[in-house]
Amino acid sequence: MMRATGLVRLALWSIAGLVLVLLYGPLAVAIFFSFFKFRSNQVQWDSFSFDAYEKLTQNENVVGALGNTLLVGVSAVAAALVFGTLLAFYYHGSQGRARTWLQLIIYLPFVMPPILTGLALLIFFRQIDFPRSLVTVVIGHTVFVLALVYRNILARLQTLSRSLVEASLDLGASRWQTFRYVLLPNLATAVLASAVLAFALSFDETLITLLVTGTSNTLPLWLWSLMRLGFTPDINALVTLILIGTTGICLFAVRYLTVPQAR
Amino acid sequence: MAPARYSTQRLVLTAVVWLPPLVFILLPLLLFLAQSFLRVQGTEVVYEPTFANYVRFFTDPAFLPTFWLSVVLAMEVAAMAVIFAYPIAYFLASLDSRVKYAMALAFVVPLLMSYIIKIYAIRSLIGGNGFVNRILLSLGVIDTPITLFSLNRNAVLLTLTLLLIPYAILPIFVALEKIPRSLLEASADLGASAWQTFRGVVLPLTLQGIVIGASFTFVLALGDFVTPQMVGGIEGFTFGRIIYSQFGFGNNWPFGAALSVILLAVVLVAIIIADRIGRSRFAT
Repeated sequence: MMRATGLVRLALWSIAGLVLVLLYGPLAVAIFFSFFKFRSNQVQWDSFSFDAYEKLTQNENVVGALGNTLLVGVSAVAAALVFGTLLAFYYHGSQGRARTWLQLIIYLPFVMPPILTGLALLIFFRQIDFPRSLVTVVIGHTVFVLALVYRNILARLQTLSRSLVEASLDLGASRWQTFRYVLLPNLATAVLASAVLAFALSFDETLITLLVTGTSNTLPLWLWSLMRLGFTPDINALVTLILIGTTGICLFAVRYLTVPQAR
Repeated sequence: MAPARYSTQRLVLTAVVWLPPLVFILLPLLLFLAQSFLRVQGTEVVYEPTFANYVRFFTDPAFLPTFWLSVVLAMEVAAMAVIFAYPIAYFLASLDSRVKYAMALAFVVPLLMSYIIKIYAIRSLIGGNGFVNRILLSLGVIDTPITLFSLNRNAVLLTLTLLLIPYAILPIFVALEKIPRSLLEASADLGASAWQTFRGVVLPLTLQGIVIGASFTFVLALGDFVTPQMVGGIEGFTFGRIIYSQFGFGNNWPFGAALSVILLAVVLVAIIIADRIGRSRFAT
């Protein structure tokens, strides 16, 4: 649509190229040094090995932190899916001002800086004497990803024709049957896509987690504590694995998000 | 019978959907606000209302300067992000539609990559002891490490800009995509040069996207406390870090809460200003 010619075109391409290099370059370097050694200020080109990855599997902290992260992610996504779906149905099926207020409350943790969401929860848990643990982390993550899940499901719900539900009810289906056999299959891709995105967000969440966690570490927190010490090949190996994992998850989600729109 | 049952169901649904957001979002925020009007004596929180925390913020010379420096830093991040994001968004919009969305995706995917990892990767490159310096040293290009980006404010600015730039690219790209082709043709037909069309048509129509991108990056940059800590050293002691430090062991939670309320106020002001500018002209 926009046209760019000559010098302008060249400038645009260079800026875009530069930023792409700056965005991906550091990550590429980290991946590179998970395979190669760096000694006396030089890359050891003959040192290619999977040693760093092997060392990683023997590290109990990594395995523990990964377990915590997955547990938190799955629990938070499950909770967010249940409440997000209920909220979307409630908003879709009601009128008036109240539902707008409710929606505003749900959006708050997503638009506020994460430090504020984290601190608010931290103070709340202390006031009600609830000890910090993975449970509080799950609550924090659920609150954080709820808006995304809710928004995605509501958007899909609003594209569905009301006559679908009416037809189902007219044909004698119960409300539960209508939900189970008519609405849910139509919502499936939206639910799946938001679940995957929410999981990716939870997997990576650092700022809220840092504030509401007890003694258990999730992967980002454990990485953070390590990185303050310096760079080692096994951190690079872990970084590589996480990048492959999260990028894979995201591309999968993007596929599911975009396919229905193409129809 | 049926209607009664449905209304009971409706009541239950209403309770189920309202309770969690009220308990886990609104209530914590209200407690948070309330906490900022309390004070500590020794290690105990004293439950009587006071403005002492806010008075301390505005009178103690330790806080206001850091606060302003952080606001300025966040503004610089927002400005840098928009300055680089605009040409990129324009570049994306100028592409053929077959590659356009794939390229746009390439600029957005980093958003979903691990935040800590990106900071780590950038830090391992740019620091005084980073790979760039070490390789340049061993090649003999430089004699002493370049310290422009080692544990200082520049490093925070660069890292935050890189982390947040996708948030600026996206709204500007969307705004560019919304401009009808006919407008550009009309402008050209009426004799406007490419620059005049850009200045008179494209730029005003993408103002809203710019403002959304700038306010988003500003808000996130101001609230961040991990990035400054990882790459900023002592120079990168930002407002976010001061807030975070109030919540460690035996520290002053009410004061930390007050500082956070001030942060929230700045965020709200930024969003309101952005909303005003975005709506003032050519609202879409």
